[in-house]
Amino acid sequence: MLYATTEQHEKLREKVRAFAEEKVKPLAFMLDQGNEFPKEIVKELGELGLMGIYFPKKYGGAGLDMISYAIAVEELSRVDAGVGVILSAHTSLGCNPIYDFGTEEQKLKYLVPMAKGEKLGAFGLTEENAGSDAGGTETVAVLQGDHYILNGNKIFITNGGEADTYIVFAVTTPGIGTRGISAFIVEKGWKGFEFGEHYDKLGIRSSETRELLFNDVRVPKENLLGKEGEGFKIAMQTLDGGRIGIASQALGIAQGAFEAALEYAKDREQFGMPIGAQQIIGFKLADMDTKVSASRLLVYKAAALKTAGERYGKEAAMAKMYASEAAIYVANEALQIHGGNGYLKGMEVERFYRDAKITTIYEGTNEIMRVVIAANLLGPISRTTKPQTKRAPGGTTGYRKKIIFKDGTPEEQVDALVAALEADGYDFTVGIPIDTPVGKAERLVSAGQGIGAKENMKLIEKVAKNVGAAISSSRPVAETLKYLPLDRYVGMSGQSFKGNLYIAAGISGAGQHLKGLKEASTIVAINNNPNAKIFKNADYGIVGDLQEILPLLAKRLDTGEKKPAPPMIKLKRKEPKQPKQIWQLYVCNGCGFEYNPGVGDMENDIVPGTKYEELPEEWTCPECGEEKTAFIEV
Amino acid sequence: MHNVRKITDDLYWVGSDENRLALFENIHPLPEGVSYNAYLLLDEKTVLFDTVDWAVARQYLENVEHVLDGRDLDYLVINHMEPDHAACFEEVLLRYPKAQVYCTNKAYLLMGQFGFNLDNTKLIEVQEGDTLKTGKHEFLFIEAPMVHWPEAMVTLDVTNGFLFSADAFGSFGTLDGRLFDDEVDFEKEYLDYARRYLTNIVGKYGPHVQALLKKASGVELKMLLPLHGPVWRTNLGYIVDKYVKWSTYTPEEDGVLIIYGSMYGSSENAARSLARRLVERGVTNLKLYDVSKTHESYLIAEAFKYSHMVLVAPTYNLNLYPPMENFLQHMKLLNLQNRTIGLISNGSWAPTSGRIMREIIDEMKNMTILDEEVELVSSMSERDDEAMDALADSIKKSFEKQEKTA
Repeated sequence: MLYATTEQHEKLREKVRAFAEEKVKPLAFMLDQGNEFPKEIVKELGELGLMGIYFPKKYGGAGLDMISYAIAVEELSRVDAGVGVILSAHTSLGCNPIYDFGTEEQKLKYLVPMAKGEKLGAFGLTEENAGSDAGGTETVAVLQGDHYILNGNKIFITNGGEADTYIVFAVTTPGIGTRGISAFIVEKGWKGFEFGEHYDKLGIRSSETRELLFNDVRVPKENLLGKEGEGFKIAMQTLDGGRIGIASQALGIAQGAFEAALEYAKDREQFGMPIGAQQIIGFKLADMDTKVSASRLLVYKAAALKTAGERYGKEAAMAKMYASEAAIYVANEALQIHGGNGYLKGMEVERFYRDAKITTIYEGTNEIMRVVIAANLLGPISRTTKPQTKRAPGGTTGYRKKIIFKDGTPEEQVDALVAALEADGYDFTVGIPIDTPVGKAERLVSAGQGIGAKENMKLIEKVAKNVGAAISSSRPVAETLKYLPLDRYVGMSGQSFKGNLYIAAGISGAGQHLKGLKEASTIVAINNNPNAKIFKNADYGIVGDLQEILPLLAKRLDTGEKKPAPPMIKLKRKEPKQPKQIWQLYVCNGCGFEYNPGVGDMENDIVPGTKYEELPEEWTCPECGEEKTAFIEV
Repeated sequence: MHNVRKITDDLYWVGSDENRLALFENIHPLPEGVSYNAYLLLDEKTVLFDTVDWAVARQYLENVEHVLDGRDLDYLVINHMEPDHAACFEEVLLRYPKAQVYCTNKAYLLMGQFGFNLDNTKLIEVQEGDTLKTGKHEFLFIEAPMVHWPEAMVTLDVTNGFLFSADAFGSFGTLDGRLFDDEVDFEKEYLDYARRYLTNIVGKYGPHVQALLKKASGVELKMLLPLHGPVWRTNLGYIVDKYVKWSTYTPEEDGVLIIYGSMYGSSENAARSLARRLVERGVTNLKLYDVSKTHESYLIAEAFKYSHMVLVAPTYNLNLYPPMENFLQHMKLLNLQNRTIGLISNGSWAPTSGRIMREIIDEMKNMTILDEEVELVSSMSERDDEAMDALADSIKKSFEKQEKTA
């Protein structure tokens, strides 16, 4: 490319721009206001051949290049950035990993209908504890016979709920970080695969964004994408390409905002002349156009490199970083030029201003873009300092056993729960007064919004009495429902529980509530939603209806009048034992140096996770210089 | 005056006891002394296996001269280049200038580094599998890297199953005229010496000791001739079994080693109280040591011996009591594994010792820290009773669990 696009590129631009102006523009405000996904428009994009622009025709694509794809996303985003990202997420994140890593069967089964626009694609990597750091992935896939059993949640998923085909990342080998992650193709409609509510977002409101919930979803073995353990590599390579899409989206937003501002500056008169005649407005427009043009050059350069099959990761990151920051700058100045008019709903610049922000965040935050660029410049030295802080494994409440009693009847589940508590040392023949202050209580039975009507609090009181506990609640139950006084709610802003046993009934587990439970020795969760966060933060749990489980629990622990409890002895929480050594260690015959694959040898560019067999032949002992062959297995 | 022992008709012990050295490697106390063993074979060719520390060189040279009885020395085999064995090989070569030296390439390089000169026309470098025929006898050289240095080798007489085993199977303690395992009560007199020697000197290199044991397992050994301590000709299986345990970091005994640090006696009080509670529960195989008074090398040896350890230590300058920290760091360095550990920490205003002990142990391999940690505030009182009992119960319970799985 010599700083210009081809005629063919510009013809495509005309075609997409015409479609965007005619079909998308009239609906854009309504889609934004209504938080609405444009099903019809997406269908038409398929008919126009835009849903698989750069894939070969034999896989249902249009057989064009990456710049054509960038232009399509740019032109749609110039009018509606939500529509732009639907196309970008579908193409770069949904289709591309199958094109790059799929088997021929997978390509024919999944890529072809997606590239033709008959099916929509999406990509599920992000989780609550795995944002920029995919190593925190907690979704798991366990191979059982011919299927992987998938469990976990993905958040912030573009096209979530609307898409038919999802690329989902899950841990198949725990304990080895990103090398234990694998990618799967998952279809909407499979048993146990559900969606959360559509998020209420600041911008790009015409794109659907939902949580993906996997509960024992059976994924056929043949839907493993690539090999086991290649997930991280697939995700990173996919996101490299995706950044060209997001950069194009940002470019389109900036272009749209710039054009609106230019128009307005010529039209709006103050002090007897168009405001554009004021130098300060002219200079703004000059800066805006310069940034838009610079963005475009970066975006097209990255796209051209990808088309040419050259390394483009650094350039894609530069394009995404620069174009998104330019989009925010340009949208902000465009709104400023519009003055008070630009601040009103219904004005394009108001929407561009909100839409622009996401582009510095998703598909790698701009902070991560700088990490990527720096790593490309500096090589392995940029990865030598490993962060030392480690979150307690598990949820906000630290390490928890997370045992859910699922087997048998509800009675049997309650029996199993009580047996486990007794084995931990709880004596249910003793108890404390029900009105013991929360901060001093040894045991608490706590009600959440799941408790329902106020009369159900009687149930909580009865359980508390038989457990030998005081009662408490979550914040909304005290603050909004006013079932209990404010000094009885547990949470970061309320009371902290420092005792032993906490039974959370109908509590979903908001972060601020969980922070009040960190010191609890044992947390029991009873909730009818198996995906409630409280289960990830509990030692024991029963999934079931409170109306059914609570009476059973009360009955099971009915030991008559409780004896007064002796002074509290704080029960120690069971920390997890050290995980078994999973790395095969080798020791050097020349000095006794121990090679631990979990640590690697960063000074010599051997990244952690490199097994002895994978060490290059020329690698030598970092301490004494013996050859690799002088090592013996421990 | 010479002082030698005859091993067979053509093989003699020509080493020496040494009882004036205070600290072995200038670290490990040596009240029991040590022997530097060397052996001389009178075949068609004469072969000297290793030399001795410079401190006993005169005795050794007299012994060699006496046994040779006018013959010249043909070969000198240097199994291990460490100066406590090789220090006087130059002197041997001055006296027997025709002798040729058999050693590994690494041993030769180390000689140069230490400033010992060997004319390379006299050098015969050997590798694993090389042999030497001396007449009736034939010797096979076997590399033994990191037992306990990288250059080490052992030499096997394939005609009779005698293994010149370098530092392996050695022990502290003078011989006092006796030489063979059947002439001493090894378990009573030498086992503690042998354990303290092996665990402190070669403890870190368990996998290398195992590799050597594996190589030797195919051979029918009749005699083990180490460079320190008694020669094994009767009960070879006994010492090999000990070596398997030590090199795989397997405890020898179910028992509790209580090691405490104590400034004013409060932590010691807790250590003794725990000992009493354990004994009351039937756990009587236990030993108690003051970490400030007992040299680390004894504690390391005991740690290798017992299955359980309880560490009792105060906080010191917002850190762990330094003698305890030294001990734990040394234990980590020596790679000890597979132990069950109880912790009693003490602190008066900002206790940190428990956390630091846990952190150090967490970096070791396959160590189980019992959940029932006791955290004392300055001194033990009634309020700690429950926690102390819980720790004693937990230790007792872990023995029962062990029995069940055994």
